[in-house]
Amino acid sequence: MNRLWKEFSKGLWKDLPPFKLVLGLCPVLAVTNTANNGLGMGMAVVFVLTLSNLMVSLLRKIIPAKVRIACFIVVAASLVVAVELLMQAFAYPLYQQLGIFVPLIVVNCIILGRAEAFASKNPPLLSMADGLGMGLGFTMSLTFLGALRELLGTGMVFGVNVAWEGFQPIGIMVKAPGAFVSLGVLLAIMTFVENVRRKRRGLAAVQGPTHDCGSCGGCGQKNC
Amino acid sequence: MKEMMKMMIVLSLICGIAGITLAALKQVTAPIIEEQVLTYVQAPAIQSVLSDYDNDPIKDRRKFEVDGRTVIVFPALKDGRLIGLAFETSGKGYGGNIGVMVGFDVDAATLTGIGITTLKETPGLGARVAEHGYTTQFRGHSLDSVDLKKNGGDIEAVAGATISSNGTVSAVREAIAIFNALKGKLAGGWS
Repeated sequence: MNRLWKEFSKGLWKDLPPFKLVLGLCPVLAVTNTANNGLGMGMAVVFVLTLSNLMVSLLRKIIPAKVRIACFIVVAASLVVAVELLMQAFAYPLYQQLGIFVPLIVVNCIILGRAEAFASKNPPLLSMADGLGMGLGFTMSLTFLGALRELLGTGMVFGVNVAWEGFQPIGIMVKAPGAFVSLGVLLAIMTFVENVRRKRRGLAAVQGPTHDCGSCGGCGQKNC
Repeated sequence: MKEMMKMMIVLSLICGIAGITLAALKQVTAPIIEEQVLTYVQAPAIQSVLSDYDNDPIKDRRKFEVDGRTVIVFPALKDGRLIGLAFETSGKGYGGNIGVMVGFDVDAATLTGIGITTLKETPGLGARVAEHGYTTQFRGHSLDSVDLKKNGGDIEAVAGATISSNGTVSAVREAIAIFNALKGKLAGGWS
């Protein structure tokens, strides 16, 4: 039970997919112009991720190591097509909004990442907990980012007007640049919070990516 | 060799099961999806091309065979009399097919307007064929001489988007041909 909760809860904060792992950024940037879109996309990912983790985990003993990626992709792709069909049948306006990004869940690196890193090595129940946790973390992040952008860009959250009178919406926040700006600011805030927590415990601050001269050839920087 | 066989069998099995499941799901959802597309994609276009009717064009739709193809026709009835109809045709655009809902006035034999249903043209250029200034040119237009100005007609193309304009015009011309073929079948009214 303890283990189950641990696998479930790590996706909610410690390994929060878009903000901590910085994975699956395509939908994070593309569909979070409203809270509703973020939530819808997140729910689709929860569905696909939980079931794909379950399937991969059940099949992990019979999938030969050499073709495992192909098998994972088939599982994920089938689930995504199922989601697409169900969404068209029961939530058509949402499907119109999300459009091309629904089929693109297949190549969302979270799905393949969790299959490879977790589900292919762990029993079904733990894998489902992992998928559910990661998916809900992803949904939370997308909904939060969507709500933030919708609020700043239109003065509404979930289509309900919450702004005070005289509020001037910042139109750019619901367009593509707003996605980058708000994601960047959020990542900075999250790192700051993490650093404060680490400092309290006497740990060193989070290290950003360092300039690695071993892997690049002639980037033009003087110290290479 | 044994490993190879195992790989092939497992992968084929997984793909096969996935394929069968999806085919079944597709079959189950197909009628529901058709209904949804009618409500969310075609209904707004129908409302923009037909007017002054008192029935539900979507509920009263009927299928017709014209030149070997099936056309779903949406009627506009007033007091039970057929006053207009609309159906969708498509023309080749720059980014794929452009779906056009074309409305006809049955008595006057004119166009009542066009509404774009499917559009994958370049935003800001080809996509402007869905805009008011372009589509309104078809409202009340006679069934003859629907063509771009440079081809001798009187439709002003969207500047810089000849292919998209051509696509919509050819869809409308196709619709006119179908309408002319349908006229005979509709002489007895809509029932």
